[in-house]
Amino acid sequence: MKRRDFLRTAAHAGGLSAAASIGLLGSLQAQAATAPGGYKALVCVFLYGGNDGLNTVVPRDAARYAQYAGVRKKLAVAQADLIPLGADYGLHPSLAALAPLWQAGVLAPVFNVGPLAVPLSKADLKTKALPDNLFSHSDQQTLWECAGRSVLARTGWGGRLAAQAGIGPVIALGSAGRFGSSDAGAALALPGPGEDFSPGGWFGGPNAARRAALETMARASYTNRLMQAYGGVQKSALDTSAALGPVLKLTPGATSTDPIDLAFGKLTGALNTPLAKQLYQVAKLIRHGSTNGSGPQVFVVAQGGYDTHADQLTRHPKLLAELGPALAAFYDATLRIGQAQAVTSFTMSDFGRTFAPNSSSGTDHAWGNHQLVIGGAVSGGKTYGQYPELVLGGKDDVGVESWERHGRWIPTIAVEQYAATLARWFGLSPSQIAATLPGLGNFPQADLGFMLA
Amino acid sequence: MQRPSHTGRGHWLALLCALALAACGGGGGDGSTSPSPDPGTSAPPVTTPPPATGETPMTPAEAARLLDQGGWGASEAALAAATKIGPKQWLSVQFDTAASRFGNYSAEIHTAGLKDFCVERNIGSNCWRDYYSAEPLSREFYQQAVSGADQLRQRTAWALSQIWVVSGHEVEGTYGLRDYQQMLRDNAFGNLRDLLGKMALHPVMGAYLNMVNNEKDAPNENFARELLQLFTIGPCELTAGGDLAGGACRATYDNAGVREVAFALTGWTYPAGGTSAWGKWDWTNPSFLRGEMLAFAEQHDQTERKLPGGVTIPASRTPRQASDAVLDALFNHPNFAPFIGKQMIQRLVTSNPAPEYVERVSAAIASGSAHGFGSGRRGDMKAVLAAILLDPEARDASRAEAAAYGRLREPTQYTINLLRAANGSTDGAPFYWWIGAMLGQMVYTAPSVFNYYPADYPLPGSPGLAPEFGLANAATAMTRYNLSDGLFYWNEGTGIKADASIPNATGTRTNIAAFESSADDANALFERIDLLLTAGRSSASTRAAIVEAINAWDPVKNKDSYRRERVRTAFYLLLASPDYQVQR
Repeated sequence: MKRRDFLRTAAHAGGLSAAASIGLLGSLQAQAATAPGGYKALVCVFLYGGNDGLNTVVPRDAARYAQYAGVRKKLAVAQADLIPLGADYGLHPSLAALAPLWQAGVLAPVFNVGPLAVPLSKADLKTKALPDNLFSHSDQQTLWECAGRSVLARTGWGGRLAAQAGIGPVIALGSAGRFGSSDAGAALALPGPGEDFSPGGWFGGPNAARRAALETMARASYTNRLMQAYGGVQKSALDTSAALGPVLKLTPGATSTDPIDLAFGKLTGALNTPLAKQLYQVAKLIRHGSTNGSGPQVFVVAQGGYDTHADQLTRHPKLLAELGPALAAFYDATLRIGQAQAVTSFTMSDFGRTFAPNSSSGTDHAWGNHQLVIGGAVSGGKTYGQYPELVLGGKDDVGVESWERHGRWIPTIAVEQYAATLARWFGLSPSQIAATLPGLGNFPQADLGFMLA
Repeated sequence: MQRPSHTGRGHWLALLCALALAACGGGGGDGSTSPSPDPGTSAPPVTTPPPATGETPMTPAEAARLLDQGGWGASEAALAAATKIGPKQWLSVQFDTAASRFGNYSAEIHTAGLKDFCVERNIGSNCWRDYYSAEPLSREFYQQAVSGADQLRQRTAWALSQIWVVSGHEVEGTYGLRDYQQMLRDNAFGNLRDLLGKMALHPVMGAYLNMVNNEKDAPNENFARELLQLFTIGPCELTAGGDLAGGACRATYDNAGVREVAFALTGWTYPAGGTSAWGKWDWTNPSFLRGEMLAFAEQHDQTERKLPGGVTIPASRTPRQASDAVLDALFNHPNFAPFIGKQMIQRLVTSNPAPEYVERVSAAIASGSAHGFGSGRRGDMKAVLAAILLDPEARDASRAEAAAYGRLREPTQYTINLLRAANGSTDGAPFYWWIGAMLGQMVYTAPSVFNYYPADYPLPGSPGLAPEFGLANAATAMTRYNLSDGLFYWNEGTGIKADASIPNATGTRTNIAAFESSADDANALFERIDLLLTAGRSSASTRAAIVEAINAWDPVKNKDSYRRERVRTAFYLLLASPDYQVQR
């Protein structure tokens, strides 16, 4: 069996039934109306490779759908297959699991977000400052993770936000990138469900001295900076293993009635995926943190594979079929543990993809992109920002000359604005937000309004 | 990781399969056969004596450092051989050692003309693992790294494979991945320009970054962009010392430059040799992943193109003329030498080389000669490696006392150095789906073209770079501890058992009985192992902590076991120490 066949089989096996999930979300929505005091969590879902936002949220009205289909051609999602988000937009059918969240008002798409140095129109392209190294994966990941225009940034906005809030380090379950790095160090990366998070072995008898030496070496001071940093990583592992090891180790049992296990369909079927497992760990850590007084927390999870230069019609739907159920199950889990109001998850990705397909049935690297924000405190059921004008070489396309008109959208919302809206909800003061996002002052609107007070 | 019960390994494999992105091979026992009847071979040592250089033979500590930087670390046997010669002689021997060879894997998935090879051949549950994935290569990689005499060639090829990345994560075809990686080994002491050509036109690279079958009308930009950004010159202008020119990022090309290169590289398809059950409908050949891509002139762009660096190629040209012009332009670009030279230093010696060190290596790339090695042609790899490894910043141990010196051992290195130091042997089986995935480095299966970690990853909380720290975190730190636990304490200390579904399975074992002769003196035992793992450079606090733990095993109270326990205590703790984790 080929790997891709395996993934397809796993996806088709089905887990959480859509009907069950809709009913549950409806009945529990009221319960999520008020957040319990004190605890909050932000969960960044990074889609590595550059998610094709244009096939993620598609205009449904006749005029714009015709523009879309006219350019996207065989890569276009069929109009009848779109999952309606009201009259104007529709989700890719692989994201059907998110439909109930839209109906419950806890899902908000935010349009055409991306790294910017200053507000930018097409006329400004030759005269105003641009972000570094546009269209490059690694560099644009850095700009999204660090929120700024310089690829030399060393700290992520998640790490700076945590530092400003005076809370613990960002916790990473997938690839951490730079999002969680701060001046104090990198994100705390934790393992997946079922893994032992402790030094293994028998440490009785004379071996107790061996265990003690591990602690001594991790806490020692080293003049070499790399050794000092690695000791710090070991120390963070040893320090957190006692508290978090048992939480991380839990896996869903066949007969479990644990609400998180139920929300995640016991990690079977469409939820037997790396992303669902990461979010399952986050849900358990949120329950642990919110009941053990850990204070507010910031998490980052990741899904890879979005660089669909070729064969996009096969690859992109499979990726979204992992993303949709995982995000829906995670929201469901926060409902079931009474934390929906306190938890906001949001997507980020390297960049959007070209509106015009290439000759390999794929799309290339672009710029502004659509993001999804989910949570009980999201003012959802509506969209934010302006959907780009779907015209090659049009006002939103960075391409001027005929050969460069591929539909790489100039963002109309900066990463800093997106981040600041979340940071304000998280509880940061205006001065803390400014310290977290130094470029924010270049943009007129510091709060995009997609979060409730 | 956890201490396994009798079925522990199966449990772990099952868990890993559940966690991993892709399918696992299954449990075997279904009668599947290896698609590699011709197994790979580790390079045998050269028997002719090295040329006289007038050098003083290396001290054990000097030899241990060179074996660390230019190979997969020291064993007592490798150290005994290396201390008879000087560093230049060691390089000469290495340059003369033939390449270890991967097995000759079957290409039938692309030549048999079957719609579903595994089903129609009824090969069983290991079919994907054995015919499509990089897993068999990963096994051979570990076997040969532990035992092959071509240590420098293997380390160099591994470094190049992390710059010019292809990945079994996207490209399916064991035989093709094998062909690409063997190409890097065979040319590791050749010329960078030749390597660029073989890399760019290899069908595995073509498949990975979508250059194959790229048409002239609307080419995709994937390979063109990464060729510029990651494989040759990088996005920002560099000084000869590898720093950003002017202290900021001044772009070396813009998106127009990427488009021009993409157009110039159109019109290539798979080599002849593949067959497809679906028939042929256009100009492209069916998938075939061995050899060099085939030019198809009618699908090659015929417009004048301006390449980064200022070269213009005429409108009328063949695909080969265009690709040569592109690669020549990038190879001769002022960024090429510092961009590639600095990364090779980072892979072999230190994450933060002084600009003067990078400049000396850049000069060697340009001149094609250094320290008496090299042909004098730009891009000579022997000159590059001599410039890197014989530089005072590599050889002079006092320079390694600088606070920013060294590099975190990447997972392959952590594992292989451990096995070599502990007289280990392995069939390579645990290091792909299981431990490789947990440590974040499945061989030849990087998560993306950006490798396992970015070359510019900042050292968290400190100035400077530390690429390998992209994989260093609480979860992997725990796995590193626990790999030592597995290799020295599981199964009565014999390591990890053989997996019956793997051809010629031997398990992964350490053999440290020889060290028991030093076990009565805790300091002597520590020094003997510390020499192998850190070139005898552990800090005083690490030494004190480990000697105390060694002495916890009392010769009287534990009279039957203390020597063995002392030896494995010393190995376990030295491997855990930050002193070993960072190669200096």
